Amino acid sequence: MRLPAGTRDWLPEELAAKRALEASLREVFTRFGYREAATPGFERFDVIEAGLGEALGEESFRFTDRRGTTMALRPEMTTPIARLVSTRLRGAPMPLRLCYVAPVYRYEEPQEGRMREFTQAGVELIGNGSVEADVEIMLSALEALDAAGLPDARIDVNHVAIVDAVLREVGLEPREVRIVKGLLGRRNLVALRAFCAAHGAPGVQVIPELALMRGGEEVLERLLQYVPHPRVDGGIARLRAILARAASLSMEHRIAIDFALLRDFEYYTGLVFEAYVPELGFSLLGGGRYDGLLENFGFETPAVGWTVGVERLLIALERRGGIPEAPDGSVQFLVACDDRTARALRERGARVLRALDDCGEQALLAEARLRGIPHVVVAGLCIGVADGTRRPIEEVLGAPAGDGRS
Amino acid sequence: MSLTIAVPKGTLLEESRRRLANAGLSLPHDVGRKLILDDPGGGARFLLLRPSDVPTYVEFGAADCGIVGADVLWETERSVSELADLNFGYCRLVVAGPRSAGFHQGRPLPTFCRVASKFVRSAEGYFAERDLPVQIIPLHGSVEISPVVGLADLIVDLVATGRTLAEHDLVIVDEIAPSTARFVVNPVRFRAKYEEVTALLERLQCDA
Repeated sequence: MRLPAGTRDWLPEELAAKRALEASLREVFTRFGYREAATPGFERFDVIEAGLGEALGEESFRFTDRRGTTMALRPEMTTPIARLVSTRLRGAPMPLRLCYVAPVYRYEEPQEGRMREFTQAGVELIGNGSVEADVEIMLSALEALDAAGLPDARIDVNHVAIVDAVLREVGLEPREVRIVKGLLGRRNLVALRAFCAAHGAPGVQVIPELALMRGGEEVLERLLQYVPHPRVDGGIARLRAILARAASLSMEHRIAIDFALLRDFEYYTGLVFEAYVPELGFSLLGGGRYDGLLENFGFETPAVGWTVGVERLLIALERRGGIPEAPDGSVQFLVACDDRTARALRERGARVLRALDDCGEQALLAEARLRGIPHVVVAGLCIGVADGTRRPIEEVLGAPAGDGRS
Repeated sequence: MSLTIAVPKGTLLEESRRRLANAGLSLPHDVGRKLILDDPGGGARFLLLRPSDVPTYVEFGAADCGIVGADVLWETERSVSELADLNFGYCRLVVAGPRSAGFHQGRPLPTFCRVASKFVRSAEGYFAERDLPVQIIPLHGSVEISPVVGLADLIVDLVATGRTLAEHDLVIVDEIAPSTARFVVNPVRFRAKYEEVTALLERLQCDA
């Protein structure tokens, strides 16, 4: 038996840690007023392609149903949520706040932090295009990272319209804009410099500069020295607002502007951001504004959101020895063949194993030691496995509920 | 925060050491078999690696940044950011064949010819672009003897001076691309250690 490449099993302890992390993310979502929705694990491929464009659609696992319709396992959740909102929720009061925690599938070369099946948790704020919505989304991302146990995680932000405007301003053709954005996103300065040298137009020298500019307010000033043009004003105003609002909550040190941050997904139209911790070589969380996405499904409305890789968060936490603490699931009582007592204990909320063999006290104690169960119940007595103390079971049952140990 | 820098053993090592020294970082000499070395000034930790492993260490973040030949980057296709052409370690990736075959004089390459190379991906890419089906024979060294002994019709290999080719009576049929040493960085570390990385970038570039 072998696992498919890029998949994994979750043993009970591992899954408990993952569930605990998901619970803390869900709690943040709830506190921000986001309600969880779910969509099918697979979609028609044309839906996925309409959302993600050709290149990323290619990364999906595809199959055909018996009628020959191409289906795809969902490679991310934003497109299915956009479809859902466009069809079922377009009459709902806007803005909508939806969240999800769900497995997604991508055909990628597996490596640390990149699995073919992984869990995404995220939020979508749909129906509001204001900077306030951008700010809410950024702040909820920071809160989620805090709740996950990574309060030092940092976020880099950009606005894709700024880069687009700069590249048009210096005179690049649409085809060249695509090439340059690909190089900029990978921060390939060697190829960018070669491109600029070959292009020769005055002003293209700003392009390699874009790839190296990173910081706070001051990089916006620097950009304006190169491209003083009203077309970048809108984007710059948004980034300024985000920096200012982060500063008002003393979180400005966690946010930096990075003009080379261009997320892979074609649907982003405005704000984009990614979160990372210094010790990992990949980002943990990413998101942005995608005002054109729902239009692909016939519902023209702005939207902004982010998603976090749950397994990536777990890797970051494990590296620090800070695995999320799961609720205690260990068994408290091992009960001899006595269904009534077992039931009475369970009704009080205790975690109870009923012995499957009709065996005596010594055998039960040995079994309890093997499994790390603190109490054995036999013949109306509750025996402490560690110290041998004996109490009538009525005494245990009579104690305040939830106090299973005493 | 100091930087962990992946440095390639082999032909790029000495010039890398010199460039790093100009940037104020001292990569110790004569260290026996130690592969992890510290700058005495505390500015950096160095990992001495096989050149082809440098992109892997940088992509996974085991090193923040590194120096590596462009040929290795083409071959490994790791997602690292190429920040600078350091303009040393110049060589060319070429297609070469026996002088007697006459490919260099314009005789067309036969379909399904056998191509021996250490640069499998680059070779595949080159022939795929020309719609020429070939059989790639992956080798790990001494590629230039393969046409001599009849293992391959052509080779794809790096050429610095061309002396090795000449010794085996091989001639260049086509140049695929010139290669030089590059300064690469992990995309997330570029952000996490922005000041350190950009300072090193600037100092590595000011020497040419």
